[in-house]
Amino acid sequence: MKTLADLKKIREKAQEEMKLRDGKVRIKIVVGMGTSGIAMGARDVMKTFLEEISNRNLTDVLVTQTGEKGLSSMEPVVDVIEEGKPKVTYGNMTPEKARRVVVEHIVNGRVVSDYVVATGD
Amino acid sequence: MQDISLHLLDIIENSVRAGSRNIQIRIIKDTNANFLRIIVSDDGIGMDPMTLERAQDPFFTSKTEREKKVGLGIPLLKQNAELCNGSFKIRSEPGKGTVLTAEFQLDHIDRMPLGDLKETLLSAIVGHPEVNFSIILNSLDKDKEKSFHFETAPIKEELGDIPLTYPDVIKYLEQSINEGIQITNMEDV
Ligand SMILES: Nc1ncnc2c1ncn2[C@@H]1O[C@H](COP(=O)(O)OP(=O)(O)OP(=O)(O)O)[C@@H](O)[C@H]1O
Ligand SMILES: [Mg+2]
Repeated sequence: MKTLADLKKIREKAQEEMKLRDGKVRIKIVVGMGTSGIAMGARDVMKTFLEEISNRNLTDVLVTQTGEKGLSSMEPVVDVIEEGKPKVTYGNMTPEKARRVVVEHIVNGRVVSDYVVATGD
Repeated sequence: MQDISLHLLDIIENSVRAGSRNIQIRIIKDTNANFLRIIVSDDGIGMDPMTLERAQDPFFTSKTEREKKVGLGIPLLKQNAELCNGSFKIRSEPGKGTVLTAEFQLDHIDRMPLGDLKETLLSAIVGHPEVNFSIILNSLDKDKEKSFHFETAPIKEELGDIPLTYPDVIKYLEQSINEGIQITNMEDV
């Protein structure tokens, strides 16, 4: 059984680690979870991002989800937001594409232009 | 939607969009009485009687972001529940919140599977760190009753400013939810 004591250990370790890098979240991933997104596989895309973050131990990445934003024909849609850079929106996402976005964009900082459907603000 | 857990995620997203701070998700599998019941209650903005009626109509949505003004989430779930001898109801009060109940005949041949419950719960929890989730799983099989109760508020309190998508936290949540699903035999429902 997992307990809050396990969590305390995680917090202590994470706090140490965050001290080393100013505690900043470097990059934010937002997965669209509207009805059409879910029907088109958005949950599996979310799952892939969480798996990759966990397996690659990416400690400065945040993932959240949001309702859809009128891009229903391109669902599942994912925004990648980095401070000081224009927002990148990826469309028609799949777990495979999500994995590539993690490796190329999140880890190596190169936007995967093949999947981009919008950029800006 | 291919399974009930995807419907559940969709319904949770409605509660989030309604500005809920607290969402309770309860799943009851009762082999004796032969039903699978999903209850989602929230403390969001709620619906007045007219909105409530229209919410069950596929041609209504309050979403303004889209050109096509149809909301499909609720009507689809309602249809799927009723298709397998189940039932569907929503109680709602403006300013107070909403309780949605969908019930399926457990052994109905046309019932969609429950699906990947863990992924729905994990996704909702980490995807909406501003919302406190309370998750209750109950299973009744002959005389055996099993239950699992999971609250995210104390977890977030313990974590302070460590995000829920911190790698070890993801693992912690995933393992906790998995344990609950196993205890209550909800893996292959
Ligand atoms: N938990 C809730 N609290 C308050 N209002 C709700 C809730 N759930 C649904 N509604 C209202 O009912 C409407 C219909 O919901 P439904 O899920 O069917 O469609 P939608 O969310 O508008 O669009 P879609 O789900 O197709 O993306 C919503 O637009 C909203 O106004
Ligand atoms: Mg909806």
